[in-house]
Amino acid sequence: MQDSVILMKVDDFFNWGRKNSLWPMTFGLACCAIEMMATGAAKYDLERFGCGAFMATPRRADLMIVAGTVTLKMAERIKVLYEQMPEPKYVISMGSCANKGGPYWQHGYHVLKGVDEVIPVDVYVPGCPPRPEALIEGLMTLQKKIANERLLRDKWVKHA
Amino acid sequence: MHNEVVSFINSKVSGANATLNTPENGDSSVSIDASKILEVCQALKDGEFEFNVLQVISGVDYKEYLELVYILASFTKNTELLLKVKLDRGTEENLPSVDSVTSVWSAANWQEREAYDMIGVRFNNHPDHRRILTPDDWEGYPLRKDYVVQEKYHDMVVNPEAKVNTADHMFMKNLKESYPDPKKVSGSWKSDDGDAAEAKE
Repeated sequence: MQDSVILMKVDDFFNWGRKNSLWPMTFGLACCAIEMMATGAAKYDLERFGCGAFMATPRRADLMIVAGTVTLKMAERIKVLYEQMPEPKYVISMGSCANKGGPYWQHGYHVLKGVDEVIPVDVYVPGCPPRPEALIEGLMTLQKKIANERLLRDKWVKHA
Repeated sequence: MHNEVVSFINSKVSGANATLNTPENGDSSVSIDASKILEVCQALKDGEFEFNVLQVISGVDYKEYLELVYILASFTKNTELLLKVKLDRGTEENLPSVDSVTSVWSAANWQEREAYDMIGVRFNNHPDHRRILTPDDWEGYPLRKDYVVQEKYHDMVVNPEAKVNTADHMFMKNLKESYPDPKKVSGSWKSDDGDAAEAKE
């Protein structure tokens, strides 16, 4: 009991900071990337959610938006990029292809059937491609998830 | 134009055996002997027809044989030509081969790499003979009719059992069975039973 109250408050403070300054990786695979760019641009303005600082290197990013078709050739690179990102890190799987193979689900010999085969995914955004509103919804879902995380407690308190 | 091209090729390159194809539907084309492709292309580029642009090299699998289609264009004469060569299917170790035309048009470089990648045709004297789209260690040539995708690629399952949507297969199968004329049910879904039924007809 004595361990949780203070840590929860500190956790809340950290979560508030983290969820409002998600830095996604500059990284697009197919047509979903166009929608992602539109989301980041002036009209939909991802910066309103503190998520507009697209980082050009995985080492400074904490959010990976897998936007597009994940081919088997690319899947290995995605895994390497994901492993290069510092913890805590999050993944949004954007669009049908990244979710489950999309239109390549049957005859796509070259497509990985969902990016969750190689990396863990936090939020799935359906659509082909999803509209910017859908991506923003996915982002806000992720923010809610981050707000409920208890990183400090999990780290310092045993049997939390 | 095609008749002049045929006689031009036959007069310039001996043994090219150029013939004119005039299908019922679609564009006319000129077929030549596969071993003479380099000489013919050089002659077409330098000769009176001035085919100075190579637009596409595409491969077609006709089950019994393969065919390469070279789509040439002349920007000076405003003409287009479909040049076809027929190749046998070859085997996994001994792929069919044809001379590279990169020395005639540099544009052939990536086109030939793609043809090699997708349909499995080797190009002799190609400067950079690698796959272009699929990974270097990919098995098979995806656009061949008898292509079967590998089960796994580097520990990644290509078609995971849990993610194959069998409900869609069953929906199409049931639709075909219930509909009076199964041929009118269109779709890319093909169950094993469906293929067998089509073969019987």
